[in-house]
Amino acid sequence: MDDKNTIEEKIRKETLVRKAVSVDPNAAKAGPSTIQMTDGVLIPKKGEKHILTSWRLTFFGALVLSAILIVFFPDPYRQIFRTCLRGLPVTFEVTIFSIIGAVIIGTFTGLGSVSKRRWINMICGVYVELIRGIPLLVQLIFIYYAVGRFFHVEGLVAAIFSLSVCFGAYMGEIVRAGIQAIPKGQMEAAIALGLSRSQAFRYIILPQTVKVILPAIGNEFISMLKDSSLVSVLSLEDILRCGRMYISRTFLSLETMLVVALIYLIITLVLSRLVGVLEERLHKNG
Amino acid sequence: MAKIEIKDLSKDYTTPNGVLHAVKHANLTVNDGEVVVIIGPSGSGKSTLLRCVNALETATAGHILIDGIDVTAPGTDIRQIREEVGMVFQSFNLFPHLTVLENITLAPMKVKKMDKAEAEELARQLLKRVGLSDKADVHPTQLSGGQQQRVAIARSLAMKPKAMLFDEPTSALDPEMIKEVLDVMTDLAREGMTMLLVTHEMGFAKAAADKVIFMDNGEILEEGTPEKMFTSPENPRTIDFLNHIL
Repeated sequence: MDDKNTIEEKIRKETLVRKAVSVDPNAAKAGPSTIQMTDGVLIPKKGEKHILTSWRLTFFGALVLSAILIVFFPDPYRQIFRTCLRGLPVTFEVTIFSIIGAVIIGTFTGLGSVSKRRWINMICGVYVELIRGIPLLVQLIFIYYAVGRFFHVEGLVAAIFSLSVCFGAYMGEIVRAGIQAIPKGQMEAAIALGLSRSQAFRYIILPQTVKVILPAIGNEFISMLKDSSLVSVLSLEDILRCGRMYISRTFLSLETMLVVALIYLIITLVLSRLVGVLEERLHKNG
Repeated sequence: MAKIEIKDLSKDYTTPNGVLHAVKHANLTVNDGEVVVIIGPSGSGKSTLLRCVNALETATAGHILIDGIDVTAPGTDIRQIREEVGMVFQSFNLFPHLTVLENITLAPMKVKKMDKAEAEELARQLLKRVGLSDKADVHPTQLSGGQQQRVAIARSLAMKPKAMLFDEPTSALDPEMIKEVLDVMTDLAREGMTMLLVTHEMGFAKAAADKVIFMDNGEILEEGTPEKMFTSPENPRTIDFLNHIL
């Protein structure tokens, strides 16, 4: 009886270990399917009813609350909404360009981390550790001023550059984990056919990696959208900054921040649902 | 066609528990057009030996000559060798994101710079040869194990190799699919392909092999014609092994 229990316990633990996904190369290898990198963002899928329900609850709650505020308390909420939404283009601009930058940096970092050359490994490793060890806000301000000292660039460009560098490190880890999730046999089969390692990466490994890491990139996109609010300290007029400027004019701090929060919440929820749909479609196509 | 000579080959692995001698001083010659089958219990170094031939594993000591070119020498262009020596894996290792046709045409197009039409023509011929003409445009995951392995063989053949290595090609297959793969391999052997195989299919070894090698604990213990090996083996370990599996 005891024996049986311990065996069952072991099996349970084993499956747990297999299910747990980590970017730590020493941790148990994940299956070849997908990598889950949760950021606390709940991406609702059809199969997970409770998440979908809570997603709906939050989303429609936020919509209803916004509607009530606008319809029944037009003064001052209508004005606040109008002001804050003025920051929307900047927020999106920063997010989209930064995520593109981060994907590019991340691809090279990820490839560098699995490279056979030790010095390339070292550079990528140091970059990742450096970025991971410093708060995002500190990095942003630092890079912003560092870039400003040496080049004369616009605030927007500097902000995008800083965010790309910061998120590039995390993206690099995702790419690396994605590459390592591809079975070893794929690389072996490719080089056994006479392909070079770089050809094998280009035609065999990376196309499969993209599929594996796309959901994780979706998650990063959502994090990026939220973290882009940090650029408001770099005097960029994004949603948060527009709100704060409004506060300094009217001193309606609580009301304004409520609206800012609602706007971010609604965008984030819409995006997470989109990522969920994208993921489902991806799985359907094999 | 090609001649494979393995001379005094050793392969050691460093493990946390010390050094593991996977292959110890192995000597083996596969003549042009010969089919040589390596048998032995699992963990005896058969696959390692095979993988050293196209340098998927780096030998610790010794030499491997393919048509006189030393694979283990530092200046050797290993990619050139790999183009000429095809390999078929136990787990097929087809590329799941590509169709069957693209799986076969990839290497000729990227390595040999063959143009697309020519490569596809070649691929269709090869698919016909392995009996899968109608599967050109499906993805490998939609195929059975036996079909996947036949595609893998076609993929290797597309590089027009001088020799083929098979690493337990039927071990991951259901019994009813083994035959279809063995038939393709038997055809290849009959056409004079130089083949070095690791397999547990004694029927194939008896029918198609020119030479059977018995390996245990990293050492080649006995070699001979299939007739001799299966009817009157001399080494007690060989006798013991054959008694267990036949």
